[in-house]
Amino acid sequence: MKQSYITFRSVTFAQKAERILKRAGMDCTMQRTPKELSQRGCGYCLGLRPGQVIRAAELLDAEKVDYGKLYAVSLEGKYEEIHV
Amino acid sequence: MIYLDNGATSLHKPQAVHRAVANALQRCANPGRGGHPASLEASRQVYACREEASKLFRCPAERIVMTTNCTHGLNIAINSLIPPDSRVVISGFEHNAVTRPLHARQVKIRVAGRRLFDWADTLESFEQALKSGADAAVFTHVSNVFGYILPVEQMAALCRHYGVPFILDAAQSAGVLPVNMEDLGAAYIAMPGHKGLLGPQGTGLLLCGRNPKPVLFGGTGSESFSQSMPAYLPDQLEAGTLNVPGIAGLAAGLHYIQDRGTENIFRQEHRAMARAAADLHALGFRPFTGEHQAATVSFVPEMDSEEAAQILAKQGVAVRAGLHCAPLAHESAGTLETGTVRISFGHDANPSQNAHFRRALTKIIPSGR
Repeated sequence: MKQSYITFRSVTFAQKAERILKRAGMDCTMQRTPKELSQRGCGYCLGLRPGQVIRAAELLDAEKVDYGKLYAVSLEGKYEEIHV
Repeated sequence: MIYLDNGATSLHKPQAVHRAVANALQRCANPGRGGHPASLEASRQVYACREEASKLFRCPAERIVMTTNCTHGLNIAINSLIPPDSRVVISGFEHNAVTRPLHARQVKIRVAGRRLFDWADTLESFEQALKSGADAAVFTHVSNVFGYILPVEQMAALCRHYGVPFILDAAQSAGVLPVNMEDLGAAYIAMPGHKGLLGPQGTGLLLCGRNPKPVLFGGTGSESFSQSMPAYLPDQLEAGTLNVPGIAGLAAGLHYIQDRGTENIFRQEHRAMARAAADLHALGFRPFTGEHQAATVSFVPEMDSEEAAQILAKQGVAVRAGLHCAPLAHESAGTLETGTVRISFGHDANPSQNAHFRRALTKIIPSGR
């Protein structure tokens, strides 16, 4: 795995999540959701290091932040959904 | 110029507000629309404003909607909460921003509480109106004409008790009095960004306790395949490009207010208002004053109120005259025919403003008196 993503329905939720994760000392980057992951068209996601995505999801659940799905990108560039 | 028209808009903004607007103009592109740094920076500025407002008003950041002014927010709130033919209770001091949208909805309006600065009358009439059957209530926190601070905490408690959802118009209170979404339990609270919150004109906030209906439809930068507006806040109500420079300025205004403390700002403004009221009395005018009063005071001069305001303007004092878009409030106070001259202080209130105002007042004393 080289990267993982958490998707969001809107930029506001992505920002809320970004603030929470950064406050918790996690390194994340907000960006547009890759087309393959954006079922409804247009959205934002947070890119994280692969080992951090589960912990990030737990933090967002605890803070009741509405997020979409979790994905990992393989070394071959393939997206795989992560089920918690 | 001595600016005493803060009830209309705050003219003198903190320097941080000027800087934030200029910075956003230089660095911010369209928020929520791109992945490049200028778009992401714009999104961060907007979210920073939501966060500042979230702290001050105790409302989740994503339930704070950016509007263009308080009227915009009130229209969304009224349109969402109040169907035609509803029975709606309002106070006797509402602005046209409340009464016109209600008339447009063709609802049955009941006015409750008409006596100025009289909490007992306001609460008794309000409860009576709720008891006799109401679908919703809309009331102002502070009268824009007379500065009367309504007992909104008690009114909110009555609404909760009778199960009546309500909308609060915080046009004259946001930034100077406590406005707490969590405690009040309002369906909606609408406020301008450019008055007590010290942001630029063209900004406003709507705090949403319920799920609203959009009045504008269009692009949101989210769920673009769908031809319906997103069903979640804030996207649901924020179609089209936001006023990012204004919002960045508003964030700076909100930050400034929290730094200084609303109680301190209120105290300073109130002191100046009390001095102005005392000067009016001393010079033979009869200002409307009372126990529960914010930093606004009105009086009826012995000449046309617009003419009096013109004379004061020539003396370098900016005030507002006439009906102040609130004929209902004037009807309640008995000043519908004359209008009033309104003096409203802001966060920069100081004794030299009072001294200047007192000198200018002598020019509107009729020669025969």
